[in-house]
Amino acid sequence: MTSIALRKDTPSAQLEKSQIAFSHVTLDLGGKTIIENVSLDVKPGEFLCIIGASGCGKTTALRLAAGLYQPTSGNVSFDGEPMRAPRRDVAIVFQDYGKALLPWRTAAGNVALALETIGMPKAQRPARIDELLKKVGLPHHAAKYPAEMSGGMQQRLQIARCLAQEPKALLMDEPFGALDAMTRQGLQDEVLSLLDASKATVIFVTHDLEEAIYLGDRVVGLLPHPGRIGIDLKINLPRPRDQLTTRENPEFLRLRRELFDFIKASEA
Amino acid sequence: MNWTLTLWRLASFAVAAGLIALWQLIANLKLASPVFLPGPDRAWAALMRGFSNGTLLEKTIGTLEHMFYGWLVASVVGIALGAMIGSSRAMRSYVAPSLEFLRPLPVSAIIPVAIALFGLTQGMALFVIAFGAIWPMLLATVHGFGAVEPRLYEVARSLHMSRLAVIFKIALPSASPDIISGMRLSLTVSLILAVVCEILAGLDGLGHWVLLSARAFRSPDLFAGVILLGAIGYVTALAMSLVEQRLLRWRTSGH
Repeated sequence: MTSIALRKDTPSAQLEKSQIAFSHVTLDLGGKTIIENVSLDVKPGEFLCIIGASGCGKTTALRLAAGLYQPTSGNVSFDGEPMRAPRRDVAIVFQDYGKALLPWRTAAGNVALALETIGMPKAQRPARIDELLKKVGLPHHAAKYPAEMSGGMQQRLQIARCLAQEPKALLMDEPFGALDAMTRQGLQDEVLSLLDASKATVIFVTHDLEEAIYLGDRVVGLLPHPGRIGIDLKINLPRPRDQLTTRENPEFLRLRRELFDFIKASEA
Repeated sequence: MNWTLTLWRLASFAVAAGLIALWQLIANLKLASPVFLPGPDRAWAALMRGFSNGTLLEKTIGTLEHMFYGWLVASVVGIALGAMIGSSRAMRSYVAPSLEFLRPLPVSAIIPVAIALFGLTQGMALFVIAFGAIWPMLLATVHGFGAVEPRLYEVARSLHMSRLAVIFKIALPSASPDIISGMRLSLTVSLILAVVCEILAGLDGLGHWVLLSARAFRSPDLFAGVILLGAIGYVTALAMSLVEQRLLRWRTSGH
């Protein structure tokens, strides 16, 4: 924890080491090149957003980072080690929360799944479950089954389970894509404050340009067919971000324009 | 809402009562010879007599034992085998054709084979009942394991869950609705085969009782046996659906 904080504060160290690194990554699936020659470095504690037109390989890139896919050529590494399989300290928040939760377990039971696998003693679990559910704003829903919860609540629950893994990195695949606008904005702020506490590195895939700018330290845009990096923007907006003032910031509007033009050009 | 439910219950009881009354009427009018068709009154009297001297209770327990042991063996073997086959795509494609050949095979065709192998013994009954009852469970388990949401396997991978943990924490609960409905079907099959085995092998149970009563023209006893068999089927199915409701609570609790 301290080492990450330290790196964040010293720019020289930050330059040296990246947490997630893609180096000349190409991925062919079913005879088609999905990702071509992507090189990307994500620093510890960085919040990177990936955007792009549909079919540009955003989700595929995330799955490569997760170790769910292996590159055809090039390599993906985490903390300097090659990513050959999913790691327990890299948590994945799937878009389809309904499929990623165990419907036969209550909210508490779903969080417990992660605690069981990391080998936390049974006696310590209830307190940790309470803490995690409180963190994601579900303190009174521990006994509910996923089917009894709204989409927003289910996604919070999935995030709680991911936090139970105590991840160094959180990979989020359009996590709020299926939610309504109000729920979405609420969850964006909650994710930001959660990450403020945990200091985890984030790769966040979204098709919502404003969401990407609002959340990220950096936004990478992919070009489609095959997927490759087309734009890489640093987001210099002050934190903490605010749904009203940040979105009215002239820099926000300029970035939005730039990304909008990028998407438009990539689709043409 | 509860009110209409009560009304439906009453209606279903009325139908049952009506059928019994019709039966009594036919018996009273002697439309069929009383040697072959006793009225419900005489069948009931035979039932009471059988229970008061203990014979019927003994036969009922005999049949329940045959049925239950066969079903238990079928459940354990069926679920274990189904889990093995269902959790691997390769296994599924290797084994599926053989299963498809064995499954529609009438169990009655297996009985002579079982008699040749085991003689007219309890072991034969156990084999036949288990063989007949295993199919619904086996196929349901294979299907249930094959239909587990792939996303959950990815969650398991990202958590580094062990193979055993994946089976017990993800695949088995996910397949449980299929498995339980297979177990319910198997229960009925077990009862049918228990009776058949008792009749063929002379094993102590209601099947044997029914056969002997028919041969001796003790039609009230015959009907008492049949009524008991019906009751066993009804009660076990009811118990099974209660278990199902309890275990699959997460499924019905939507909003």
